[in-house]
Amino acid sequence: MRKITIDPITRLEGHGKISIFLNDDGSVANVYLQIPELRGFEKFSEGRPIEDMPQITQRICGVCPEAHHMAATKALDDMFHTEPTSTAKKIRELLYSAFYVTDHTTHFYILGGPDFVMGPDAPVAQRNILGVIAKVGMELAGKVLNTRKENHWIIQTVGGRQIHPVFGLPGGVSKRISEEDRNQIEEIAKRNVEFALLSLKVFNDIVLKNKSYVDMITSDAFTHKTYYMGLVDDKNKVNFYDGKVRVVDPDGKEFAKYAPREYLENVAEHVEPWSYTKFPFLKKVGWKGFVDGKDSGVYRATPLSRLNAADGMATPRAQEAYEKMYETLGGKPVHFTLATHWARLVELLYAAERLLELVQDKEITGPNIRNIPANKPDEGVGIVEAPRGTLTHHYVADEMGRIKKCNLIVGTTNNQAALFMSIKKAAQALIQPGKEISESLLNQIEMAWRPYDPCMSCSTHNLPGTMPLEVTIFDAGGKEIKRLVR
Amino acid sequence: MKPRVAFFDFTGCEGCQLEVLNFNLEIVDLIGAVDIVEFREASSDHSEEYDIAFIEGSQTTQKDVERVQKIREKAGILVALGACSCTGGVNALKNRFPMEENLKVVYGDAAKYYTTIPTRPTSAYVKVDVHLHGCPPNRNEVISLVKCLLTGKKFELCHNPVCVECKLAENVCAFERGEFCLGPVTRGGCNAVCVTAGRKCWGCRAPVDEPNINSEKELLAKYGLTVDDVLNQFKLFNGALEVSK
Repeated sequence: MRKITIDPITRLEGHGKISIFLNDDGSVANVYLQIPELRGFEKFSEGRPIEDMPQITQRICGVCPEAHHMAATKALDDMFHTEPTSTAKKIRELLYSAFYVTDHTTHFYILGGPDFVMGPDAPVAQRNILGVIAKVGMELAGKVLNTRKENHWIIQTVGGRQIHPVFGLPGGVSKRISEEDRNQIEEIAKRNVEFALLSLKVFNDIVLKNKSYVDMITSDAFTHKTYYMGLVDDKNKVNFYDGKVRVVDPDGKEFAKYAPREYLENVAEHVEPWSYTKFPFLKKVGWKGFVDGKDSGVYRATPLSRLNAADGMATPRAQEAYEKMYETLGGKPVHFTLATHWARLVELLYAAERLLELVQDKEITGPNIRNIPANKPDEGVGIVEAPRGTLTHHYVADEMGRIKKCNLIVGTTNNQAALFMSIKKAAQALIQPGKEISESLLNQIEMAWRPYDPCMSCSTHNLPGTMPLEVTIFDAGGKEIKRLVR
Repeated sequence: MKPRVAFFDFTGCEGCQLEVLNFNLEIVDLIGAVDIVEFREASSDHSEEYDIAFIEGSQTTQKDVERVQKIREKAGILVALGACSCTGGVNALKNRFPMEENLKVVYGDAAKYYTTIPTRPTSAYVKVDVHLHGCPPNRNEVISLVKCLLTGKKFELCHNPVCVECKLAENVCAFERGEFCLGPVTRGGCNAVCVTAGRKCWGCRAPVDEPNINSEKELLAKYGLTVDDVLNQFKLFNGALEVSK
C-alpha cells in the first residue's frame, strides 16, 4: 500500500468523518476516524478559581454536563479533604440517577435504537426517531418524551438548572430537597422503573426474537476481546457515582482495582501523529497498537464494560436483567460490541431502581447538606461513570486557590482506540475485493460505532434524527473512489 | 409559506440547541408554525435561504468566520443564541493565553498542522439582529422571540438586573452568604435560578445595559471588592465582551 499522509486540517471539517484506504486488491488496508473534540479546557482553566471548575468543565458538553459537574465537584471534595455529608451524597446520586435515566433513554430510542428497531437495511429516512415512533407506536413514543421531560424536571429541581446544573459544592450541595418535591420525584421514579422494564421488553420483542439481529450481535465483525473498566461499590456492584475503578481482563478476571488518586499509575495516554485525540491505555499492560487481546492495553469503558467489570447490579430487578443478558449471550465477559445497547437498558433499569431507593431514603430531605471545608485546597481527583465511560477530573491548586494544573480523561476518550478498531473491523468485513461498495455500508459502519455513543453523535439530538456522517474510500494510489455522505 | 428557521453550531457545547429541543412537548406547537430547515451544519450543497438563523457557539477558526459570513448573506434575521455566540462564552478563556500555547497543549507536536484564532462573538464579524444571552439561554425567552418574529411584534430583552428577579424570588442575598455574586450587574430574564438553587450569579447573561453604578459601588465597598474583581468574574462567560457589538 502506498503511504498516505492525511493533512490533519482537513480532519477538522464536519462531524464523524471516516477515511478508508484500500490495498491493491481492493481489501481494506487502513481506516481513519476523525472527531473534532478538543477545545483546550485543560489549558484555559488555568488561573481560574478552583470553585469555578464544576461550572467551567460542564461546558465541555451540553449533553452530559451533569457528569462533568459531578466529577469536578468530587475533585473539589478531594482537594479540600472534605467528605460530603451523607444526605449530600444521596442528593448528588439522586440527581445523577435521573440523569442516567434520561440519557440512556435518549440513546436507546433516538440515537442507537433506530439501528435495531428499524433494522440495518432500513433506508436512512426511516432510521430515526420518527421511524421508531411509527414502529413502536405513539403510546410508547409519548412515554419516551415524558420520561425525558420528567427527569429533566428532577435535574432542574435538584440541581438548580436543567442544562448546566449549579448545586455541587465541595463537601456537599447547595440546596435541600423539600418534602413536596420529594413526593413528586417518588412518583416519577416509580414511572421510570415501569418504563425501564417496558424498554427491556421492547428490546426482547424486537431484537432478541429476531434471529438475524441476534446473529449480527454475535457476529465476528462486531466483536473485540479487550479489557473492561467500570466503577464498582464495595461489593463490586456497578455504581455510577462513587467507588473504585475496576478493570477486568479479556477472560473476565480482575486485573486492577484502584482509587481515583491512583489513576495515573493505571492509565496512560498514547499519541498518534495522525490524530489529535489521545488514546488512553492500561499502563501496566502497555500500548501495543490498535489490537485487542490480553497483551494489548486497549480497554473499553462503556455500559457493557461496566457490567463486565462488575460482579452484578445493586438493585434486584436490574440484577435479574443482568443475569438474563449473560445467560443469553454465553456468560461473562461479553465481547459483542452491539450488546452494549442491551447493557445500556440493564443500566437504565438500575438507574431507575436506584433513584426510587434514594428518594424513599429517610435522609434525602435532611437538613445536613454540607460539610464546610476547613482545609486548604491542594490536589484532588474525582471519578464518576459518565454514560459514555469512566470520567476522571484531576486538579492541582496554587497558593491562591486557583487552578495550576488540570487533567481530564473524558468518557468517550477512553474508547477512542476501541472505537477505531471497531470501525476498521466492520469495514474489513464489509468491503471485500471485487464486491460492490453499497450505500448500506454507511449504516453498518454507523452501527459499529453507535454502541460507544461517541460524544459527537450524542450531540445530534436533532429532529430529523440523521447523523452527519461522511465515509471516503481511497484506492491504493490514494485516489478517491467513493464518497458516501449524509 | 412558513418561515424557515435554521440552527447552526459553531464552537460550543451544543447545550443551547439541547435547551431548545428539551422543550419536548411544547416545541411541537412551535414546529407546526415554522419550517426547520437546518438543525446542525451548513452543508455546502444547501442553497436555501433562511428567514431566521440561530447561531450557536463562538467563532474560533478562520473557517468559522467565513461560514458565519455566508450564513449572514442568506439569513433574514440572525440571532446569536447563548453566551458563546453573544460574548465568547467559556471558550474566550483561551484568549488569556498566546494562541501557540493553546495549540501546543491540545495538539502537542502536531500543533504545526493547526491554526486557531482568538475566540470572538458572532457580532465581531457579522451584524447580529438579536442577542439571546445565557449559558444556556432561557427557553421561555427563545419561545417568546420566535413568537414575536412570527407575529411581527418587537422583541424586548429583559432590562432588569438579575437582582430584581432574585428579590422577587425572596432569596437570601448571596453576598449575605459570603458569595461574590454578579446579580446586581447581570442582565436578568433567567428568574435568578442559580441564586434560588443556593448559589450565586456567574454573569452568564452578560452585563445589563444600564447598571446602577452607584449602588454597585456601594455594594463593592461594603464587601471589600473592586471593579477589577467584577471584571475578572465576568471573564468566565464574557471573555470576548469587549469585541462584541
